[in-house]
Amino acid sequence: MSSNSAQLEAFLARLYVDPVARASFKSNPRAEAEKAGLSDEQCAALEQLDWMGLEMAARSFAKKRHRKHRSTWFAALRTCVSRLRFSRFMP
Amino acid sequence: MEEAEAAAAAVAVAVAKMMNTLTDRVGLGWRPDLAAGILDHLDGIDLLEVIADDFFSAPRQKVRALKTLAAQVPVILHGVSLGLASSAPVETKRLDQMARLMDQVRPEFWSEHLAFVRAGGIELGHLAAPPRNSSSVDAAAANLHRAQAAVGAKPLVENIATLIDPPASTLSECAWINGILSSSNCGLLFDLHNVLANGLNHGYDPLEFVRQVPPERIAAIHIAGGKFISAPDGTQRLLDDHCHDVPDPVFELLEEIAARAPGPLTVILERDGDYPSMDSLLAQIAQARRALAKGRARRVQLAEAFI
Repeated sequence: MSSNSAQLEAFLARLYVDPVARASFKSNPRAEAEKAGLSDEQCAALEQLDWMGLEMAARSFAKKRHRKHRSTWFAALRTCVSRLRFSRFMP
Repeated sequence: MEEAEAAAAAVAVAVAKMMNTLTDRVGLGWRPDLAAGILDHLDGIDLLEVIADDFFSAPRQKVRALKTLAAQVPVILHGVSLGLASSAPVETKRLDQMARLMDQVRPEFWSEHLAFVRAGGIELGHLAAPPRNSSSVDAAAANLHRAQAAVGAKPLVENIATLIDPPASTLSECAWINGILSSSNCGLLFDLHNVLANGLNHGYDPLEFVRQVPPERIAAIHIAGGKFISAPDGTQRLLDDHCHDVPDPVFELLEEIAARAPGPLTVILERDGDYPSMDSLLAQIAQARRALAKGRARRVQLAEAFI
């Protein structure tokens, strides 16, 4: 049961981050869910998926990842600048 | 017999009155953008909640700065990337990092979300709701057991906001959370804006939800604000983005909890962007204190009614 739950989480994770996977799933939910090795029960549940929620969650996740990536990049830049400043005073 | 009951009720009233003033606290989420304002206003902030993950791979001086901060003001640590409600076992490396930071900072307590954040080799970079069923209750309880063993203390667990109703769920959100609380014996970090958002987005009454959670489990509370976003079909959903002021319904839920919870409450105001002035944040902290006081007064009245 738990490995099957892990498969379902992996399937959902792919739907959240991959627009291509989302489009394939939307065009044929049952086939895509079966391809991922999900149980009959899980396939049936995915056919009743909250589509609007999926799209909105995926968009929100993408924004978060983008913001995180940007702040990591700025943090790295800030570190480099402060190191450069500091190195001017080093022998 | 009546005398004994009256005495017990009087004690209950006295305890409730004491709790009004002695133990509830209201603090703020520590963010680098707010650092200067926070340090200038520590007299109006009871405690700070620090995102633990920001310090897992931080240079020594950054951790030292956090330790200095913790020496000045009570600090609690908040994790965002363990994925404790994942069906996969929580990663040992991340637990070790949390344990090390706990050892260095010695916070009052730590907390994490009931969410999965990675699966099948994909990092979501965000908190996702797993299917709510008995299997994920067991998986979360097992992860919480691992976390306690590695870190040396149980975390408080936090309910999350979700724009999508997780598929393959057989339990209501409330039954799922209560199941995890009882099987792990953990306390709850109750995020009230998440309750409001999920209630509005998925069609349940937030106040009813709050009333169904065992009040003795509620140890800490998050308050925040969000915004309505449009779905492709034109309907609207409430996004918990922490970038807006705390709306009134959240303060109403806070009052309700203060009227029900027997233990002391730690309330944290979360703000993650579009930062307002410190005056505005302090005003929201003050409003939280008023909501707590109103709830505690209701609790006292209730105790007095038994006399």
